[in-house]
Amino acid sequence: MRASNRANAHIMLSTLLTAASLFLVPALAVFADEAWNVDYHFALLGAPKEETSFFHQPNPSSRASLIYTLSEQHALGAVNPRDGSLVWRQLLSSDGVAYRTSFLRAGEGQDVVISGIGHEVAAWSAADGRLVWTLSTDGPLEDVEILELSDGKETAGAKDAVALSSGANPTVQRIDGASGAVKWQFNIDGSDAPYQLSASSTQIFAILLHKTILGYVKLRVVVLDPVTGHKVDEYSLNSENELSTTENIVSVGANSASPMIAWTDSLYTTLKVNVVGTKSIQSFDIAAHDDSPIEHVKVHAPYHVNSLSHFLVHYQTAASHWADVFHINLKNGKVEKAYSLPKLAGRGAFSTSTSDANVYFTRVTRDEITTVSSASHGVLGRWSLNTFGVAAGIGEQVEPIHAASEVSVKGDTVSAIRTTILLSTGDWVMLRDGKGIWNRPEMLASTMVVTFALPADAATLVQQLEVEAHSNPVAAYIHRVQRHLSDLQRLPSIIVSLPQQIVKGFLGTSADDLTASDTFGFRQIIVCATRGGRLVALDAGSPDKIVWNVNVADLQPGQSREPFLASRIAGVVEVSSRAGAGIQYNATNGQPLAERLPVVPEGPQVPSSQVVLYTMHDGTLEASFNRTPAWAFTPMHGERIIDMVPRPVNDPVASIGKVLGDRRVLYKYLDSNIALLVTAQDSMGTANVYVLSTVSGAIIYSNVHTGVDLTIPIASIMSENWFAYSFTNEASDEASKGHQLVVGELFESLVPDDRGMMGATTNFSGMQTATEPFALTQTYQIPEVISKLAVTRTRQGITSRQLLAVLPDSNGIVGIPYGAVDPRRPVNRDPTKDEQAEGLVRYTAVLEFDPKWFLNHQREIVGVKNVFTSPALIESTSLVFAYGLDIFGTRLSPSFSFDILGKDFNKLQMLATVAALAVATFIVAPLVMRKQVDQRWRFL
Amino acid sequence: MALTLSAPPPRWLEDLSSGPVTTKTKQSFPDPLGYQVASRQQKSSSNKTVAHPRKQPTADEMDTLKLKKAWELALAPAKQLPMNAIGMYMTGNSLQIFSIMMVFMLFKGPIQAVLNIQNTFQRLETDTNRQQMLAVKAAFVGCNLLALALGIWKVNGMGLLPTTRSDWLAWESAREPLERAYFVPT
Repeated sequence: MRASNRANAHIMLSTLLTAASLFLVPALAVFADEAWNVDYHFALLGAPKEETSFFHQPNPSSRASLIYTLSEQHALGAVNPRDGSLVWRQLLSSDGVAYRTSFLRAGEGQDVVISGIGHEVAAWSAADGRLVWTLSTDGPLEDVEILELSDGKETAGAKDAVALSSGANPTVQRIDGASGAVKWQFNIDGSDAPYQLSASSTQIFAILLHKTILGYVKLRVVVLDPVTGHKVDEYSLNSENELSTTENIVSVGANSASPMIAWTDSLYTTLKVNVVGTKSIQSFDIAAHDDSPIEHVKVHAPYHVNSLSHFLVHYQTAASHWADVFHINLKNGKVEKAYSLPKLAGRGAFSTSTSDANVYFTRVTRDEITTVSSASHGVLGRWSLNTFGVAAGIGEQVEPIHAASEVSVKGDTVSAIRTTILLSTGDWVMLRDGKGIWNRPEMLASTMVVTFALPADAATLVQQLEVEAHSNPVAAYIHRVQRHLSDLQRLPSIIVSLPQQIVKGFLGTSADDLTASDTFGFRQIIVCATRGGRLVALDAGSPDKIVWNVNVADLQPGQSREPFLASRIAGVVEVSSRAGAGIQYNATNGQPLAERLPVVPEGPQVPSSQVVLYTMHDGTLEASFNRTPAWAFTPMHGERIIDMVPRPVNDPVASIGKVLGDRRVLYKYLDSNIALLVTAQDSMGTANVYVLSTVSGAIIYSNVHTGVDLTIPIASIMSENWFAYSFTNEASDEASKGHQLVVGELFESLVPDDRGMMGATTNFSGMQTATEPFALTQTYQIPEVISKLAVTRTRQGITSRQLLAVLPDSNGIVGIPYGAVDPRRPVNRDPTKDEQAEGLVRYTAVLEFDPKWFLNHQREIVGVKNVFTSPALIESTSLVFAYGLDIFGTRLSPSFSFDILGKDFNKLQMLATVAALAVATFIVAPLVMRKQVDQRWRFL
Repeated sequence: MALTLSAPPPRWLEDLSSGPVTTKTKQSFPDPLGYQVASRQQKSSSNKTVAHPRKQPTADEMDTLKLKKAWELALAPAKQLPMNAIGMYMTGNSLQIFSIMMVFMLFKGPIQAVLNIQNTFQRLETDTNRQQMLAVKAAFVGCNLLALALGIWKVNGMGLLPTTRSDWLAWESAREPLERAYFVPT
């Protein structure tokens, strides 16, 4: 410490802070009193899909049920219906592959749930989510069902599953429910595309789509014996000239007492129903209830073999919805319409629940929940809803999208009902008897981009102050007096809250005094743009609830959504997409701004004639200067650009050099116009890394890594004068397979006290002067894959940096202090005294992730795609927000909180000390006074 | 006035003039060596040979004496130097309250001494030795400068002197690029 003090004792504040941060690096960690307090985490599943969300009892002997879902993000999980907490979760597709279909089935009275996605059928323990077995199919799965055989041979053991897969040779497989072994396999001949499986209690039906010459779709049904797997029968349904696409197939019922197929014509005028196993098709006219055309028709049928063979058809138009209930006569296979549910405005969601053989349909509309029995139209229960209790845009009608219910019926009334509803806002809510119990913000699981914005009230103050600064003194004075007068209106509320604030001020610490005012800039609004075309805002200071949630007007459904978010004006968030120009929103309440505010570009002002714009186009990087092509980076043949990271536009750097132990300076190569480019050559397995000058297009640093496993993500980051990237190298003769993190730092010169070629010139043109930095790089062997790198950002860049690495394999985010990966760590020797003073330690090839570096501590952060960092108003702190599937946010102080009192500061003790000293002074003062007077009067 | 004349002298005046009463008879033990009661001294001096009255030194002698004394004063800071140097060495180069205070004293002493140089040598300065005193003063300033140099050496050792490039780094600014490049996502 003595030596380091000597080296770093500077009179300049900034240098002192840098020095302070330097020593503190090795001890950096997440503190116990901050964990769970400053960080927040939403363990999300993603928007649940209607077909794969249901209540199920994980333990057949107990009545308690969990909600199971396989979401659009391919996350399989169980949610506790009581509080909405996640019981367990499995990510079935971690590599971001989007599958068209996925299946989740739970057999009645089974303690496993069976999922099917891609090529994989898997059984999971329903109670804890452990994998029971897994089976890969040759072709992609088209359907998975559970066999509910009622041939008297039903055993207590696991029920078997049937899987239908397409591909080169489509097959139907019966999978043993206990072991996952294939019991039999039936190869489907012909070129018909497998569509779905259906099973009754005695037979298995494979439904195939046969394309006729005229382009219509014909349904072909192959009937199989469930025991032997032999074909029993095969027939085609007369559906020609009606079915043009598979979209018009409304439903293929599965495990009901009498499975049926329903389809409509493309205009939704008639509904055709076929009971599987018979060849007769019955048609029903769909009566138009209002002017708007029907948008979709859905069939809701019970999913149990021993329940009544009733089903409900739900018709939805843009303005209203209604439903018809049909009964199937099991004896003759006749379908009869039993009753209709009246038309109601808005969207509706229907769910089916069973209790023994009885079937109940629950209808959720905007303002009420009703339950009817499938047998008659009498309402068994009705609960009115005032609100779903979720944030939505002003004037926006929150509509239910789909629902799943659990009904308990006593006599003729529903005694209790639990309904989970996916709302049009993206929230997944739970209502018990019409009252909101919990809501899960599942729309955040599909967050694509985020930005941080200052709350509008803080921003208006900033704007007001700017007005005062830019007007003449008299006008500014009048403005200020007016502002203060208007502030007086808040006086009563301040007086009321004053005692509380004083008590809080005495007892609390400055760090948790977040609610009163945001002097530290922790309460920033985090705005997320979701794939569903919504903007959702969270408050980083109190992240428990959604601040606002609006539909983005310029995004139409079906458009390719690549929104960009920015907050270039304080208090205003701007969203734009390829489809349309930007719309500005008030960051505090999510209201679209009536008029566009002019956008002041970030960073130093550069005349527009000096701006180079570059963009990625067809795999090459092209730049234009004054609308003429300036340069292009075209990868070599067979090479593709994996990633391009420019240095952030707003990247403040406090010190332009690194102070060495002997107080000399190594000057950093600081150029705002550099970018890190990672390319891959798949044929050779090499990864190339370039640092480009984005003004001239010159390559100022390059490196090649051979034997790289290019299937594993390569993460890269660029900040200040350094860059970092990680990759995985293949096993070879010299090296084993391993993950590496490379950190490179660019200097103007490697000679201390030398500013390189350009010396002390104050400005330079990247086009005219070609400078090349001197790079120092170091490679570290890391224990696991890094899928994404990010770096902490602070207001002035004084605080040392932390490299944030997303670890997909351990579901965490690790914050690596820059000092630990500094490329200047001495190799093969111990550091000299001067190097020790700088905080450099001897280089070790293996970089272990210290458990204290994990920002998520005990949390499991699954599926993080990106990490966004933003500076707080105080220099020590950087706000971190990770998104992907889960949402995780925290505050980081890479050099400790040197400008704010932490939780460990004992305010009470300090106040007690001051009070004690004051009392002591009052007591001692007269004594001392008397003694002094006495002394005057005493002789010698 | 008359009253005051007639009044007896105050007690303290009597005490002062009479001195302590020596009760020789009561003393059974001898006086310590070299102790002489005033009255006895007077007696002995009257009895024995008359003591030589101290010969007043001449002006020249006085000058020499004063100069000697002045040199002594002038070189005193130099004598403290080794002591100070050892002290400084022992306190180390770390920034601690003790070493900072020592360094402060090290600076305060010589500067104060140089500022008070006239006061210091006023008593010793006469019209005749003014010329020599100049040299003495120069030596005094020199010695104090030595002490100051020690202080500076110490401060330098503590890294408080802005002598290196890093100390002026904050005043150096990064070069401004004339062009800016922006990435336009497609």
